[in-house]
Amino acid sequence: MPARSYLTGLAFLSPALFVLIGFFFLPVVLTAVFAFTNMSTSTGISGGSYVITGNLLGSLKAQGVAPTVVDALSQASFVVDEQSIAKAQAAGTDAQFLAEIEQQLSGKAFSEERAFERELKSLRYRPRSIRDLKLAVDQFELSVLNTRFASAAEAREAVSELVPSAPADVVDEIVDASYTGWRWTTSNFTRLVSSSDTWRLVGNTIFYVAVTLSFTVFVGLFLAVTTFYLPAGAASAFSMLWLLPRITPVVLYTVMWKWFTWEGGFVYTAAQALGLPAFNYMKGSVPTAWTIVIMVNGFIGAAFAMILFSGALKAIPVQQLWASEADGASRWQQIRFIILPHLRWPILFVVSYQTLSLLSSYQEIWLTTNGGPGRTTTVWALESFNTALNSYTGNLQYGLGAAMALILVIVGVALSILYLRLFRFDELLSRPKIEF
Amino acid sequence: MQIVLKDFTKTFDGNTVIDRMNLTVRDGEMLALLGPSGCGKSTTLFAICGIHRVNGGQILFGERDVSNMPSQQRNVGVVFQNYALYPHMSVFDNIAFPLKVRNDSKADIARDVRTIAELTHIAELLGRRPGQLSGGQQQRVALARALVRKPDVLLLDEPLANLDAKLRLEMRSEIRRIQLETGITAILVTHDQVEAMSMCDRIAIMKGGQILQIDAPKDMYHNPRTSFVAGFLGNPPISFLDGRTMDGRFLDEGTGVTLPLPAGVTVANGTGLTVGIRPEHFGHAGDVPVRGKVVFAETQGRENLYDVALPNGALLRSVQPARDDVRPGDEVSWQLNSAAALFFTEDGRRL
Repeated sequence: MPARSYLTGLAFLSPALFVLIGFFFLPVVLTAVFAFTNMSTSTGISGGSYVITGNLLGSLKAQGVAPTVVDALSQASFVVDEQSIAKAQAAGTDAQFLAEIEQQLSGKAFSEERAFERELKSLRYRPRSIRDLKLAVDQFELSVLNTRFASAAEAREAVSELVPSAPADVVDEIVDASYTGWRWTTSNFTRLVSSSDTWRLVGNTIFYVAVTLSFTVFVGLFLAVTTFYLPAGAASAFSMLWLLPRITPVVLYTVMWKWFTWEGGFVYTAAQALGLPAFNYMKGSVPTAWTIVIMVNGFIGAAFAMILFSGALKAIPVQQLWASEADGASRWQQIRFIILPHLRWPILFVVSYQTLSLLSSYQEIWLTTNGGPGRTTTVWALESFNTALNSYTGNLQYGLGAAMALILVIVGVALSILYLRLFRFDELLSRPKIEF
Repeated sequence: MQIVLKDFTKTFDGNTVIDRMNLTVRDGEMLALLGPSGCGKSTTLFAICGIHRVNGGQILFGERDVSNMPSQQRNVGVVFQNYALYPHMSVFDNIAFPLKVRNDSKADIARDVRTIAELTHIAELLGRRPGQLSGGQQQRVALARALVRKPDVLLLDEPLANLDAKLRLEMRSEIRRIQLETGITAILVTHDQVEAMSMCDRIAIMKGGQILQIDAPKDMYHNPRTSFVAGFLGNPPISFLDGRTMDGRFLDEGTGVTLPLPAGVTVANGTGLTVGIRPEHFGHAGDVPVRGKVVFAETQGRENLYDVALPNGALLRSVQPARDDVRPGDEVSWQLNSAAALFFTEDGRRL
């Protein structure tokens, strides 16, 4: 029986488990895996092959590989031997012509294409058209340049054949460098640590989270307390109005902010009429861009905070408010000494919840300033998204983006643990904080 | 300080709950507002402390018209039914709150809180939180908080309703002791006649937003002005018999009970009357024998309580020193003290 009841329990839990594994653990695990690779659009996410390109040879030379070897690799040569004749035969070169080549030129090698071509032109059975002749010439070319080798061994063989004098370790180095697929690496992290951009991003992110959070809490408190003192009808109309940022779809909401702040928008027109500087406030200057980013996100958070705070306010026994008035407390003293202490736990909840959600949110910034002007309002999550999934140049760096995302996950988990400890959420959940 | 309500009127959403009420609470007196729920007693209290706004008339604290002042400026001390202590503050901070919000110095606050805590016997609890106190202790803290800034009037809204029976008895005398020691004018709202009678100098009985009678407990008990007042005071309650006048006497035709009317009262023959007989005036001493059948008996230790059904079904209650010779079902003929009978007209007014 116990086994059966466990199975039943598991069956009931399984949808939740699938969702948890599929939509939370798996993405986190994949992010962690990707973070330790150099995957990008150019490497692809499956395996690669070995290709020696002109660019690669250039960089090898710069890295100190012997110039003689590099030059030898970069040069094509034309060799007439059994191998190349067989290759030409397979490619469909005229048999008589081929026999003549074998007879006359066997064992010869040419370092220049033109010399070999001239030699072929002098043969009796040469093809009539230049194009066919060129095709025949191509069959005898021996070169590693831009040739795709499926395995490292093949590439190594080809290189050794072309440059027999190259030492084995140099060959290995060249072959290794010619790999086009992704590989395991920690360079994403070393790159992040050493880059000065990273620290600016960190600074931006901390600034963004701290200021938006303060905005959220203060505006949320202000709205909740003011609606609390309003007559019921006015209060519900007022709070519905302030819920709009929360319930409007993000895209629509940001578009409205654009209408509001762009050239010809409301603020622009108003500023113009008042003789104040009028420009695209969203993208025209750093202070206005930050102000708008903070307000766009802050009002969404404030709507959320307002709901929570309003609920907590309604839970305060009305006699305590009456008592404080009879005790002589002014409105402000009543808020300060009675209402705010009752809101302590909701405030802590909003702070911790919003920290985590602000850290990982980028869509509002992406849709408004898009991190601009320049990269002044770019935060960590937006940069991570752009790096991995939205590169302007077209090379998406999955590995680097995943590394950034992984750091965000780690920071988020660390902060959650800190908040759980600091604010003793277990206590908050187990016992009501408001005593009657 | 003397508290005066002049033509006090209160309406809620257009419903007039209290219409032109007049009430004077004397300086240093403890007055009970007593009545069934919905009679407007709490509304009156909340209007005096400023939680409810006055819709008409005046409220005077001494010479000061406070009708349109907010609570903060009235200098009232209020004890709420659920005490309304601030749960996040210690007992000390709770009591100190009224002083703190008017910016008294720390030393003054500490001294005043200690004085009032000693008066209310909670000096050793000052460091605790309200959640760590018993109901009686919370009640004392609420009293201390209400009294600490020496208010003009102490308002108590059903202060004993949330206590168990034993604590209720204890706090009844405690509240009275503290009120007498401080000499403060106090108004007690209660629906419990025992509380009102035992704690207060005078009682105002309310019904439907009106004060029916205002008197000292003893006068109220012996001289009720209406049958409602007579019925509301007294435990076990008074019993009523219906009848009419006949040759200057009261006659209940159903039972044959005949009683002399009070001296100096003349009523036309055949006028409908109601007579009220308190349980202590039926049973052991009197001048009019009444026959009936005991239908209910209750032993309370020191005395016994009987319900006697008369032949027409009317009930008379009797309270007597404990005896064990009468059981339910017994036919009895007990004496009724006609001198203590209270006569009311059919619309409830006392003759």
